Amino acid sequence: MHTEVERRGRTALVRVRGDMAIPTARELYGTLRALCRRRDLDKVVLDFSATDRVDSAGAAVVGIMRRSLEHAGKQLEIASADERQAAALELAPPKVAHAPVEPQPTRLELIGDHALAIVATLRALGGLVADTLRQGLAVLARRRRMPAGSISTHVLLMGSDAVFIVGLLSFLLGMTIAFQGAVQLAKFGAGVYVADMVSWSMVREFAPLITAIVLTGRTGAAIASELGAMRVNNEIDALVAMGVSPVRFLVLPRLAALTIVGPALTLIATFIGIAGGFVVAAVMQNTAPATFWNHMTYRVEIGDFAQGIAKSIAFAWIIGLTGSHLGLRTGHDATAVGRSTTRSVVVSIFFIILVDALFATFISFGERT
Amino acid sequence: MTLLACHDLVVGWGEHSVLSDIDLEVQPNEILALLGRSGCGKSTLLRTLCGLLPPLSGEVVLFDRPLYAIGREERERLMRRIGVAFQQDALFSSMNIEDNVMLPLRELTRLPGSVMREMVRMRLELVGLANLAHRLPAHISGGQRKRAALARASILDPEIIFCDEPTAGLDPVLTADIDATLIKFRDVLGCTIVTVTHELESIRATADRAIMLAKGHVAATGTIEQLTQSRDETVFEFFHARTG
Repeated sequence: MHTEVERRGRTALVRVRGDMAIPTARELYGTLRALCRRRDLDKVVLDFSATDRVDSAGAAVVGIMRRSLEHAGKQLEIASADERQAAALELAPPKVAHAPVEPQPTRLELIGDHALAIVATLRALGGLVADTLRQGLAVLARRRRMPAGSISTHVLLMGSDAVFIVGLLSFLLGMTIAFQGAVQLAKFGAGVYVADMVSWSMVREFAPLITAIVLTGRTGAAIASELGAMRVNNEIDALVAMGVSPVRFLVLPRLAALTIVGPALTLIATFIGIAGGFVVAAVMQNTAPATFWNHMTYRVEIGDFAQGIAKSIAFAWIIGLTGSHLGLRTGHDATAVGRSTTRSVVVSIFFIILVDALFATFISFGERT
Repeated sequence: MTLLACHDLVVGWGEHSVLSDIDLEVQPNEILALLGRSGCGKSTLLRTLCGLLPPLSGEVVLFDRPLYAIGREERERLMRRIGVAFQQDALFSSMNIEDNVMLPLRELTRLPGSVMREMVRMRLELVGLANLAHRLPAHISGGQRKRAALARASILDPEIIFCDEPTAGLDPVLTADIDATLIKFRDVLGCTIVTVTHELESIRATADRAIMLAKGHVAATGTIEQLTQSRDETVFEFFHARTG
């Protein structure tokens, strides 16, 4: 495209040669904009006699210039446009009708919105817990049934694939605790108590926690994304429309499977973690297996195991309920599934740490009294 | 120049062939309708013609170049000269309608922002969505989303616009609006349009020529008048199912 500008008194004649199209619109825009700013002009005549194709970009440039010139009290005249060019120019409406923009909420309204959202979230979570209990009781009383084979399928999916990673992490964690403990305890001549430290901390604290963190990343995120994708595809609505409870059909089997998988993986993590501690104790301190065993069985009581298992069940329910809650409340757009998944991991880990702290506080308080 | 043509084309999914022996040539500035009953492979053929699904065999020629035999960069250059309006609109849910329609301009041109906004406004005005420019796709109706998708597909004034069921599920008024918009794209912007549809009213209102697909092959081709008067059993059934 090539533009020629000819001055005739207070009128500028702009002759455009070639296409007024996307590749050339920027240049045309620059030329016309410069003319628009000139104070010694009253009128711009756009001559189309040498112009070939006019596309939307060309029409848009002409539309903008027409309004700018009118705003400056000047005039734009179109000359020698053929039928097709005129039709293309008509695509640019003379008046700008801006789309209504939603008014922005004030700060106070934003605070109110957040407060209401928190209340709504808590109410929905409470509703989910209540519905889960109600459906669970109905299943236990054999008034309702869960989908056939759903629990075993979920147990396999959640459990079998997680055994290796939970085992490996626990082994490394047991070794780390033993290493750290052996160095510090040896300073006091109490190196043999590594067995007590590793076994007691793995049973009561680290095994449930490491299992819960792995389950959050693998299973909780998977639950949130599965249910979220089902929400986006209207599958949840389809269940509701069929009169099938999404909680009984989708949430309950996953929660039941987690109730089995959580404690089972925690037990595996406990034993493998203690084995990791034993390897370090044997290599660093030449601790005999019998000595390690005696210290461990002397220190760890059945109540400690019960505490670890209770924690693992609580963590499993946190993971299952958080994943299900956020999955079922996923929005209908593509980014919503990702948001739900991320939030499920963050919220689960927060509540796991919180509940763990509460367990530690109440139990140590109980043990002192 | 050959705008769009295919020779001995076999299209399908994986190893499964849906349509075979497809030969067609699209003329400049025409509206070509691909017709056929549900499941006959119209959308599959459209995807192959617009570069989204490689054929099982045969050749697609787009702007004189063998579409599936050229390098990625050249194919991308060719693809910029076409627009596709998908059946399920395919709007980006995190962007409002204005940003959705502006996306090709932002990514593929160096136009000033004010020109881009003006082009989007013009296009949204054309499809009757100017007052919904700041809404998210989730907050407008299915028909409005279809029109927004058409606006996005046409924003670069492509030489060919491919439309997959542009009027499916719309009421007669909206259908007529979309038909009028397609005709405007052809007449004013000089676009060639290849559309998949089985809406008879739409076909009669817009199509210059149609290709009828049935039983894995091209059953008939011609103007709508020629197809309406066809004695071929499948074609006759398609056009006269209601009138008997």
